Amino acid sequence: MPGDTLITSENDTDIELDFAGVEDFQENHKREKHNGKRRNGDRQENKRENQRRKRSSKSVQGIREESQSKTERRERSRRRKGKAEHETSGHEGNKRERDQTRAKSTKSKKNIKNEKTRKLEGKEDGEAQEKSEKGKLKLVCTKNEEKIESGDQLKEKEKALGVKKKKKRRKKVVETSSEPETSEDGDDEEEVNNDGEVRPELLSPEELEKLKEAVDEKKKLIQSLRGKPWPMKQKLVTLRESQLFVEKYEGALGKGKGRKLYAYKVMMTKKWMKFQRDFENFKTACIPWEMKIKEIESHFGSSVASYFIFLRWMYGINMILFSLTFGLVMVPEVLQFLNLNCTFILFIALYIYFILQVRLILLCTFFEQALMGRPYGSIPRKTVPRAEEAGAMDFAVLWDFGGYAQYSVLFYGYYNNQRAIGWFKFRMPLSYFLVGVGTVAYSYMVVIRTMARNANESGIGDDNSFNFSWKMFTSWDYLIGNPETADNKFASITTSFKEAILEEQESRKDDNIHLTRFLRVLANFLVLCCLAGSGYLIYFVVRRSQKFALDGLENHTWWERNEVNMVMSLLGMFCPMLFDVISTLENYHPRVALQWQLGRIFALFLGNLYTFIIALMDAINLKRKEEKVVKYNITMWEATLYNGTGSENSTAPPITIHPADVPRGPCWETMVGQEFVRLIISDTMTTYITLLIGDFLRAVLVRFLNHCWCWDLEAGFPSYSEFDVSGNVLGLIFNQGMIWMGAFYAPCLPALNLLRLHVSMYLQCWAVMCCNVPQERVFKASGSNNFYMAMLLVILFLSTLPAIYTIVTIPPSFDCGPFSGKNRMFDVIQETLESDFPAWFSKVFSYASNPGLVLPFILLMVLAIYYLQSTSKSYKEANVELKKKLQMQNEENKKKNKQAALKAQMDLEEAKKSASQTAEHQRNNNDSVQRQEDDEEIDNKNQRMYHGRNPSPSVGNREPHFPVRDPGPRNAHNGNHGNPRYLPGFHQQSEPRMCRVPSLERH
Amino acid sequence: MTLLIKCMHLPFSFSSRMVSPAIALAFLPLLLTLIIRYRYYFVLFYRAVLVRIWKDCVTGLSREERAFQYVLTNSTPGDPDSILDAFDYWCSKVEFISNIGPKKGKILDRLLMEQSPLTVLELGAHCGYSTVRIARALPLGARLYSIEMDQGNAAIAEKIIRLAGFDDDTVELIVNPSDEVIPRLRSDYNLERLDFVFMDHWKKCYLPDLQLLEGYGLLGKGSMIVADNVLFPGAPKFLRYLRKCGLYEWKIHRATLEYSRGIRDGMAELIYQGIK
Repeated sequence: MPGDTLITSENDTDIELDFAGVEDFQENHKREKHNGKRRNGDRQENKRENQRRKRSSKSVQGIREESQSKTERRERSRRRKGKAEHETSGHEGNKRERDQTRAKSTKSKKNIKNEKTRKLEGKEDGEAQEKSEKGKLKLVCTKNEEKIESGDQLKEKEKALGVKKKKKRRKKVVETSSEPETSEDGDDEEEVNNDGEVRPELLSPEELEKLKEAVDEKKKLIQSLRGKPWPMKQKLVTLRESQLFVEKYEGALGKGKGRKLYAYKVMMTKKWMKFQRDFENFKTACIPWEMKIKEIESHFGSSVASYFIFLRWMYGINMILFSLTFGLVMVPEVLQFLNLNCTFILFIALYIYFILQVRLILLCTFFEQALMGRPYGSIPRKTVPRAEEAGAMDFAVLWDFGGYAQYSVLFYGYYNNQRAIGWFKFRMPLSYFLVGVGTVAYSYMVVIRTMARNANESGIGDDNSFNFSWKMFTSWDYLIGNPETADNKFASITTSFKEAILEEQESRKDDNIHLTRFLRVLANFLVLCCLAGSGYLIYFVVRRSQKFALDGLENHTWWERNEVNMVMSLLGMFCPMLFDVISTLENYHPRVALQWQLGRIFALFLGNLYTFIIALMDAINLKRKEEKVVKYNITMWEATLYNGTGSENSTAPPITIHPADVPRGPCWETMVGQEFVRLIISDTMTTYITLLIGDFLRAVLVRFLNHCWCWDLEAGFPSYSEFDVSGNVLGLIFNQGMIWMGAFYAPCLPALNLLRLHVSMYLQCWAVMCCNVPQERVFKASGSNNFYMAMLLVILFLSTLPAIYTIVTIPPSFDCGPFSGKNRMFDVIQETLESDFPAWFSKVFSYASNPGLVLPFILLMVLAIYYLQSTSKSYKEANVELKKKLQMQNEENKKKNKQAALKAQMDLEEAKKSASQTAEHQRNNNDSVQRQEDDEEIDNKNQRMYHGRNPSPSVGNREPHFPVRDPGPRNAHNGNHGNPRYLPGFHQQSEPRMCRVPSLERH
Repeated sequence: MTLLIKCMHLPFSFSSRMVSPAIALAFLPLLLTLIIRYRYYFVLFYRAVLVRIWKDCVTGLSREERAFQYVLTNSTPGDPDSILDAFDYWCSKVEFISNIGPKKGKILDRLLMEQSPLTVLELGAHCGYSTVRIARALPLGARLYSIEMDQGNAAIAEKIIRLAGFDDDTVELIVNPSDEVIPRLRSDYNLERLDFVFMDHWKKCYLPDLQLLEGYGLLGKGSMIVADNVLFPGAPKFLRYLRKCGLYEWKIHRATLEYSRGIRDGMAELIYQGIK
């Protein structure tokens, strides 16, 4: 029903099908007025695009309409009736023409349902006559008023009002044409009867133009519908109607060939849009764990979700590290000796891993087995020594990464120092070294890049001003999708308001600040004590373990052997809890508290880690002493061996010794790698066990004991646990730090970490959804993501330090690893340069590495950094300045708008008052006279507008006319009807543009 | 298989020696955390359970009797305020009785002032503190029915109420379990509609009693029901019912447990809307 679709123009007051010449200018004028208003109001939103502007202008109007609705509706209906009669009598040619045109174009697109209308017409007519009297009266009143009031502003207002009324009326007419119970012109109906159906071929080009415009307007309306201040029902109705309209007429536009093409084009755009939408959906579906994270976000707010997003990001990084080490180090080394069968098994294992992805430990052993094909025992470093062979397959040994695991591709010691392997002459030691460097370099790059990207996003808003407004309008987390969380969030907002009010009071009272300060200092002191205590405990344990190591580990229990790891894990688990309790003393905002907490746990973990590293250094020194002895012994052993053979028979073939029997150095690198792997494993285990006991078991107990307990376990004492964002984030970060530290000595670490992250993704997602409750103070995690990154960067730096230190200062073991036999590990580069590159290259390199060249280069870099930094700072300052300027402009505009609005309101009220008075006075006047006056009044109005009395300078003039559509064709259309009065309207349009220049300069 | 068992056996074989002291020390932060975090609960446990048992053994009187003795000696007869003050002092300084307490009592007073009900039902008088509190705030001509299950407590409550100067016309104490009394309210006491109901008896009975009240049509539109201790010790089923049923306009006044600072508690305020 095309008529129905036309009704929508009632909602969309700005955008309408207008075919009448009179309305044309008025509408332009009005739109301009609204634009002006809107611009005044939302000046700061300069950058917003057209749609947005239009919408806001409409909304302004919508609000106005609402405020005036009562009186206006009444008036409108009266005037409509009046007009209906008036048109039948055919008083004014112009009007009639207009109506006819309208009828042609609107009605022609309509199915006829006016039968009813006709029936009702007679009845309505009587009423209409009666009402028209009132309408005339009103008009007289307005006219009178105009005479009385002299202020420019007021008149402008008045005019606007008049325009609005007229518009409304017209609109209403359009509407009524489709509604059976309201009256309709006889002329119109006849016209309609003549061409009842939609036949676009019959439309004139102008009408087609109009139709096209209307379609465009509808499209715009659909786009801007979301921002309108309407009830949802109205929105839905409007949307449906507009869509119907667009669908109906879009294809009808254009003629013949062009029409088909147009239809085709429209269809293709639709299909393309659909495809794009589907593609977007597909892309979202492709992001791993996206749905899981979204679900968690909806239940627990963005702070918890930020952890999972961080976890996912970490997983991505580790994926790349893993593929680097796996592809360039492990696979070549394994393929070197594996036969086909084992390669096959390896790939099967990989395949299963990617299919099942969860059964890690089992697969891990399987993996090891696959890697440890028989050929592993080809040289001593790839063979389990005779002494360890007996227990090399025991689970306990494997669990400690001894036995077969130690002499496998998982650790540094397994790798051969053969310079080039295979057909491709793969430079194994070089590759090993470069991969080690590359992983760290890549990590640096990624972390810094991410930080820079995040820094761009954040740092826009200033936190301190408009504290309560921010709270009022932005504290709701719209991602919450569950009623309990919503309840919680509601509670947290109220509490935060309370807190904010309290803070405000306190900051004014200013007497409690000392107490707070004291408490904060006290809390920090307690935390420091805690840190010192835990540091001492770890130190103590490490010393003890060294003693055990000297005694020989076999004499001690499992507990004693694993004391260091246990204590570290336990402290890492429990100390944060204590910090959390202590931090309640400080009474910070949760976001600030989270950062403090992160900082403290960071210090704790760092202390633990460095204690561990220092202990490791001691162990390395011990091993190196041992190595010296072993080296001496080996030379002795070899000497005796060769002496023995030499003395017997000099031509006899050299005795083949089984590689397992060859005496071995202690290989400190493998030891370091083992330590790291053990630490990771125990850490992972502790995390999972804590998860299972602390969260799951607790949740089960609380849930099922609640029926038979004397108080409410769920709401009260033990309750369910909350998700500990800070602890988990730091666990992740330190875990990564250990990976970076140990990956050089244990190439399996990235793989292990990948598994760990994968499992913890699923496990923690499950645990969060199943046994945690949302935090009581759900807060937005806005800037903390970059805080995580900063910590990651610090950890990265701190973890590369010891790795680099060991690489640079300690010579590699003499009989294991890819660098055996070299003085330092980085000698491999020099070796490659000398033997694999042409001589000139090494020469160039040696020149380039000359300090005389390097130092200036570094200096240049420093200068560049300094320059960039200072420019960025100045940009930032400029930004701040601009922001301030914008704000000031806003405020000024707001003030002006307010004044204008106040004035308008006052005027309106006065107008109403006087109107009602005059209406009472002249109730008994003659119809025809009034009609005359009505016409005159309209003419008057038009005249006034065209002769450009400066309409209210503060409201109308400020901004240029905003051309919603091209006025050209409409003007031509008006010209057809031969009404020269409308042409000067363009003066009016151009005038404000000229006025605008000074207004801009003012700011 | 045997290999696996052997492997599993090894790490978990405890030798005769103890777990090392360092590991035990690592649990210290956990212990501290638990103590600090749940200190209020420990204090409550001490005051409400340990002290009570100790005093019961020493004096041979029940807790309520001791409270009554104190109130009798330390308050002005006929003055409800002084009786309430004496109660508050005894409960916060000497021993613990879970009365409504002064803070939540203020909320109750305010609600009563706003509502100014004529027929009030109290479930669970205990030793009369809340009864006195409600009776004090009632308008002239209002009547309070107080239900107490326990004989001994009821006797003390009776004494306290009379001590405060409220006669039989204002306060009527009914000694019977609430689920027996409520069905008979209409017939035995000629009650048509309750304006105000205060619940402070067994937390498990909140929901059945509320349903009984609904079932016997004692609640009219605008009747107010106030339930104490809905968060601690807590009445989860009651709250769940409120959320679901939609018969009430309700909210929870968040406060702390009576005579204790750190334990959060709440008082539910319900206004019966009837079936819409």
